[in-house]
Amino acid sequence: MNATRYEIVGGDYERGGAASRSLKEQLKKVGADPAVVRRAMIAAYEAEMNVVIHAQRGELRASLDNGQLDVEVADEGPGIADIEAALRPGFSTASAKARELGFGAGMGLPNIKKNSDRFAIDSAVGRGTTVRFTIVLRPQALYGAGRNSLHIVAEQCRQSFRCIHACPTQAMRVFRGKPQVLDYLCVDCTACIATCPSGALTTRGTRDELTPIPDAVLVVSPPVLTQFGASIRPADVLAVLAEIGFGEIWVTWAAEEALRNAIVQYAETDAAARPVISPACPAVVNLIETKFPSLIPHVAPFLSVMEALRTELDGRRAVFAATCPSQRTAVLSDDAPSKPEVVLPAALRAAVRPRLHSEDAGLPPRRAGSGPALQGSAGVPPADPNRDREGAEGVTDERVLRATGLRHVMSILNAIEDGLANDLTVVEPWACDEGCFGSPLLADDPFLARRRWTPPPDAAGPAVTRRRARPLTPRPGLRLDDDMTKAIGKLARIDKLRRALPGCDCGWCGSPTCATLAEDIVRGRAAADACVRQNPAQETTT
Amino acid sequence: MKLEALADRIGAKVLAPGRNTNVDLDQVYAGDRISDLLSAAGDHSLLVTNLASNHLVRVAELMDIPGICLVAGQVPDPAILAAAREHGTILMVSPLGLFETCGRIHRVLSAEARAAG
Repeated sequence: MNATRYEIVGGDYERGGAASRSLKEQLKKVGADPAVVRRAMIAAYEAEMNVVIHAQRGELRASLDNGQLDVEVADEGPGIADIEAALRPGFSTASAKARELGFGAGMGLPNIKKNSDRFAIDSAVGRGTTVRFTIVLRPQALYGAGRNSLHIVAEQCRQSFRCIHACPTQAMRVFRGKPQVLDYLCVDCTACIATCPSGALTTRGTRDELTPIPDAVLVVSPPVLTQFGASIRPADVLAVLAEIGFGEIWVTWAAEEALRNAIVQYAETDAAARPVISPACPAVVNLIETKFPSLIPHVAPFLSVMEALRTELDGRRAVFAATCPSQRTAVLSDDAPSKPEVVLPAALRAAVRPRLHSEDAGLPPRRAGSGPALQGSAGVPPADPNRDREGAEGVTDERVLRATGLRHVMSILNAIEDGLANDLTVVEPWACDEGCFGSPLLADDPFLARRRWTPPPDAAGPAVTRRRARPLTPRPGLRLDDDMTKAIGKLARIDKLRRALPGCDCGWCGSPTCATLAEDIVRGRAAADACVRQNPAQETTT
Repeated sequence: MKLEALADRIGAKVLAPGRNTNVDLDQVYAGDRISDLLSAAGDHSLLVTNLASNHLVRVAELMDIPGICLVAGQVPDPAILAAAREHGTILMVSPLGLFETCGRIHRVLSAEARAAG
């Protein structure tokens, strides 16, 4: 089946659903799995009935290619005045007749969106409406583990259970008193690290100490240079780092600027889909691959800054000062020609602090000529924080919307997915508050730290951008069972269990929601009687 | 519980026999909101409704819903009967209203669940 078209006649309730029925027969012929057919039917029927209810005539076009079903339902109807309202569950403009027949519950578009992997709607009053959706048919591959850098110190866990609710992909569990992460869902975003009150969640460098490697490049980003309080400027920290003993120090600043400019240019010229999403934050890219696969075409095809700098090393040894697990994972990913070392902010602080305070009044010791490329910074008086800050916070281009903090990033990605952010050109989302300045591995408040960033006059580092060689791919999750029939059986069991659970999503069992607990039970991760509300005796044993 | 056995226990009359009489019922959807029906029902569901319309049979077919129970002794249009026969959907009519019919179904299924332990 390549492309098939079906006519839909407005107002013909007798024949409404005929297009969906033909589509179902096609899907059965190609052997699509029943769960996929079910989702496709819900979405197709809702879209088809929308035409019957609201329009004069329309057409359903379906194509099956590359393991996915693409459906477009276009009508010559009145159009939708307020798409945002139409997407809201319960909103309906259906006629009394449609309502008599059981339609008009205001769940049509929400139902299509819920049951498809990609969804878009385009409508103009007086001209008509086009709904497009995609459902991925491919049996889901087992996702390779080990692409994240969260480190769990189980004995530190005090069972606050905050992590399970903080995780945007529901990857965290606290079972039998110990936190655990489902690797295939973890996007390395730091949400769990930030919320953990007892230090059970963190990440680890390949080295625990910042020790000198004379021929190596040390790569640092602005946030690690601004975590030493009000009186220590980035230039001071750079001077200290230079003394420790590396061949060269690169600050990521120039590459960050270069990436932003390259993305704006890409958005203005050959963007595949707009708004263009910046891949600067690797956690956001992971999040898109995991939770928002429909937005993959929106992501500008560049490497993140540290990944791009890694390609500039030319075989030299390097130590990357990563600020979060996602940077660590990106720097150490398999694509790297030679694996660099990674240190985390705590190691850098431990190495820098004693030197800052060893001599005069908290200022770093200065010896002219002691470090490479940094001599000019010695003896400069403390900068007035309100001067010379033009451009220091990065985004001066009004075409770039910088959005930080996971909650806002999620809502903006949702808006883009719903077609409600088409007024934007470039979105630069960062998982942490104020971007990398908000990583929970850093010491200072993100807003203070970012305010204190001023590019040191002689900060060196290549202004490089690199196109991504391997395209991003959706992360399909973990198969329930290799055997499709058994998997479907398990799916039914999960559904049944979920309906039997209280639905309060309290998390007391250690699983974030009742739905995830149902899955955990069927997968054998949790006991059948794990629900604390249904089995109060559990409370003392978990 | 098998659909035919259920029809018998609740005093409903089977109008179209259905292709697959061997389906074990594990869920009942009662109501007339098509969107909710689409989301809720599956291939082990019975749909109980007072909407005797053609598109209901269509939805049952699309969603592999094996059975429909109309209520209040409705006499469905011959077209609906024909559609149900053609698709192999079991179509039954209960003499009671929606509320009483659901009450009976609930009693029968609960008794069965208790018996099964």
